[in-house]
Amino acid sequence: MITAINKHTRILIFLVCIILGFMITMQLKSHNQYQNLAVQRAEDLTVRLKEVQEDRDKLVKELDEYRAGRISGAAKKEMDALKARAGETEMEGKGIVFTLDDSKQAAKAGENKNLYIIHDDDLLRVVNELRSAGAEAISLNGQRLIGSSEIRCVGPTVLVNERRLAAPFVISAIGNPQTLESSLKLRGGVIENFKFWGIKADIVQSDKVRIPAFKGKRTFEFAKMVTEEEKKEDNKESVQAAENKKETAGKTQAQDNKVTADAGKEQPADRQNNAGGGAQ
Amino acid sequence: MIYAIIGLVFGIIGGILTPGFVPKVYAPYFSVALMAGLDTAFGGLRAAMEGDYDNVVFLSGFLVNIMLSVFFCYAGIMMDIDFYMVVILVLGMRIFNNLAIIRRLYLKK
Repeated sequence: MITAINKHTRILIFLVCIILGFMITMQLKSHNQYQNLAVQRAEDLTVRLKEVQEDRDKLVKELDEYRAGRISGAAKKEMDALKARAGETEMEGKGIVFTLDDSKQAAKAGENKNLYIIHDDDLLRVVNELRSAGAEAISLNGQRLIGSSEIRCVGPTVLVNERRLAAPFVISAIGNPQTLESSLKLRGGVIENFKFWGIKADIVQSDKVRIPAFKGKRTFEFAKMVTEEEKKEDNKESVQAAENKKETAGKTQAQDNKVTADAGKEQPADRQNNAGGGAQ
Repeated sequence: MIYAIIGLVFGIIGGILTPGFVPKVYAPYFSVALMAGLDTAFGGLRAAMEGDYDNVVFLSGFLVNIMLSVFFCYAGIMMDIDFYMVVILVLGMRIFNNLAIIRRLYLKK
């Protein structure tokens, strides 16, 4: 059928067909690969997750056994007390359950919708108020709040103990229920501010509030403990350092004053100003 | 014809032996280039059967079509238009067209 076929043509057709064949197989291979990747990843991750969870449970058990065997009497009592203070144990007692939910009011035209949504600073204000009213243990949607717990907006959710939480927020606190409730209901306080924007705030006093233990990771990556001997050495050094500093003190003080003055200028104002920069 | 088939077999073996695959980012470009290559190959076959096959036209068509289609695809992605769909559609129609003519030429013989 193909007449007058010369050498060049043969080589050309040969080469072009090699390229075509190569491309076809690569395309097919890649296509299979994409599908496999998506499925494999999900499967791998679930298997890995299960393994790691089993490992963790085993190690926790082991740790408990070692602890129970090693420590006894007064030391154990002290350790339990420290654990309770650090939020490592589940707590129970009188307190309040405070529920917050996003506003159902529609934003008026030209108004910032963020004003009607609960933000990290709202939750922080509530938690701060509860702490100042003597709350002994606080949890937010089942996450125990300890010294290092963060409360931060991440997209439409709030990050607490590296976990994402969404509205409605339930804040449980153990403490004197009367004091806790009145601290939130102060005139010009937290709840009054929420009411203005239609954010639902609901306090229930309870004789039996249960607050779970802290379950996050807690290791020191940068901080090191200072032993008693090191403390003494540091004291000696700091005395020397203080003498050296006196010479430069005048200069630094002047700088410090400037810094504080600058900071004073940009004091963040109320919710109205803050909400614009909010997470959503 | 025999050279084409041998070439294809070599290419397929080469593709199977080559490790790795096309990254997903380049997948649309690669598929469009493949379509352009197939289109030119069928075009060449048809031309050969019609008797006006030309080496230069075939080779330039193969390279330029591949590059043009990839460029179209790239431009489409830059402009957020699914241009590669258009390219694939047109090339697919051309492939069908060529195949139809090849079939008819076969039947006539």
